Amino acid sequence: MNIYLPIAEMSVNIALFLGMGGAVGFLSGLFGIGGGFLLTPLLMFMGIPTAVAVGTGSMQILASSVSGAIAQYRRKNVDVKLGVVLVIGGVVGSVIGVALVRVLRQIGQFDLFVSLSYVTFLGAVGALMLIESVGTIRKSRSGQPVSARKTGQHSWVHGLPFKMRFHRSKLYISAVPAAMIGAFVGFMAALMGVGGGFVMVPAMIYLLRVPTSVVIGTSLFQIVFVMAVTTLLQAMQNKTVDVVLALLLIVGGVVGAQFGVAAGGRLKGEQLRFLLAALVLLVCLRIGWDLMARPGEIYSIGPLLGGI
Amino acid sequence: MMRRLPARNLAIGAAACLGAFLAFALAAPQTWSQAGPSQSAAKQLPPRMGPPRPPAALPRADQLSPVPVEKIEADISTRSVEVTTGFTGHEILVFGAIDNSQAPEEQTGYYDVVVVVEGTPFPVVVRRKSDVAGVWINTSSVTFASVPSYYAIASTRPIEEIAGPPVLERHAIGFAHIKMTPAPGYKWGFKDYELAAFKAAVIRLKQKDGLYVVENKDGVTFTGRSLFRSTIALPANVPVGPLVARTYLFRNGEVLSAHIARLTLQRAGVERVVHNFAFRDPFSYGIIAVVLALLSGLAASAFFRREAG
Repeated sequence: MNIYLPIAEMSVNIALFLGMGGAVGFLSGLFGIGGGFLLTPLLMFMGIPTAVAVGTGSMQILASSVSGAIAQYRRKNVDVKLGVVLVIGGVVGSVIGVALVRVLRQIGQFDLFVSLSYVTFLGAVGALMLIESVGTIRKSRSGQPVSARKTGQHSWVHGLPFKMRFHRSKLYISAVPAAMIGAFVGFMAALMGVGGGFVMVPAMIYLLRVPTSVVIGTSLFQIVFVMAVTTLLQAMQNKTVDVVLALLLIVGGVVGAQFGVAAGGRLKGEQLRFLLAALVLLVCLRIGWDLMARPGEIYSIGPLLGGI
Repeated sequence: MMRRLPARNLAIGAAACLGAFLAFALAAPQTWSQAGPSQSAAKQLPPRMGPPRPPAALPRADQLSPVPVEKIEADISTRSVEVTTGFTGHEILVFGAIDNSQAPEEQTGYYDVVVVVEGTPFPVVVRRKSDVAGVWINTSSVTFASVPSYYAIASTRPIEEIAGPPVLERHAIGFAHIKMTPAPGYKWGFKDYELAAFKAAVIRLKQKDGLYVVENKDGVTFTGRSLFRSTIALPANVPVGPLVARTYLFRNGEVLSAHIARLTLQRAGVERVVHNFAFRDPFSYGIIAVVLALLSGLAASAFFRREAG
């Protein structure tokens, strides 16, 4: 059975897109990730225009992170003050990102920019995770204790001005790097249709030394607010949010996530990270291949996007 | 503030929100819609396509006796097609008759009829990739000021057998003769053969999308001496807007008569409401999108009662 998507302007198979949402939801539940970096490229491979895939992706991520964020807030795992700093940065980054989407679409380089961003980030994050998880698996096999990372070390980050006290994180650090991390994630979110957790979480742990107990909650807090703003901005400036498509993906996603969470409970953390790293690298290679391989058709056509 | 909301309330909230969304969209003034009141159907071919040409019905110089001149008349099976959420394409029937047909008996290839159904012309940007340091990047582009969004052709025989290129060119019949001119200021730096390659790419890509089609199956068929019919299958991805059906009567490679009929292709139902809302009032649309996402996310988690982490 088909449904006509009002913004993507194409007729798609309902079951196929529900299934896609479900598959990505399953992986999100399995790995505890947002899944934007899987969903957006998948939509692009399915022929959804890149800009619509990115814009609609924000709406789907908003839906899939809100319940998690509220659960974390109830458990007091959110550093609201740090979260607000991240959100402020994120909104600024998102505004810049959405404006850049418009410019890049007009000059015909948006698809290239999105692909290059994906290859770069997925390649880097995937490689780091792969190295880390292989190391952990080896260590645990050879019987060595898996040591937690040391906290409390000082780095260049601690020399910056505008110091603030973040009680829940037990930190007294400058607000500048936090706002910059937030801005970078907001920028990426707008351009790539991702939540950005896979960049924000490591940045908070390694750069800001935020305790791991509040990292997930605080980053979800940021994602919910920044995704809400990004969805609104994409709808207003680029008109690329397809509500019908998003609802299909959301419905598929929440069901898939239930099964993913259940399946994830049976695997070890480092095994999960190894599988996730492999998946991330696969997506990276696929997008990279499309960039490098000689295309069958070197021409493409699109509508004229004037200075609206 | 963070009281647990029961699933039922959330479901009701989601439904109410969706209702409000539809009501809002419906109430907004219907100004954006392209499709005007359905144009009254048939009128004689106006001088719409490019260069001036002789009147549609040519009295031929070699006609000695005052034989009545043949005239083609045609119509479309429907005045308007609605693109709804369930739209998967639509088949239209272009039919008509030849007045004063002089065909000796039941169709023997005496006349030829060509039907062209054309969509609204839009500006189109064509981009060409080239290999820059191992990565395929869009490096050059040409903007064509107006390219028909859709172009379907049906005929009694392959058009090359019906008439020569000059006649086809004059009437914009056949993919090779579709009028496409570069937008002002977009010619710089391109040689004629390069422009031709860009133009060929538009036709090729449109064909690949199923938007430029030759109706091979039967094309135009005659019933008796003067009645003809042709079915054109509009694909699911046909761009909305007015469509024009041009019908030509050929004899010995010359156009004897031509006729034009119109139909509109308009969004309808939920599809129309959502699309128009998104483009007319993007702010409210965005807000609704955010609220829908929040409500559906919360409703889902309440439904599954999961303690997500």
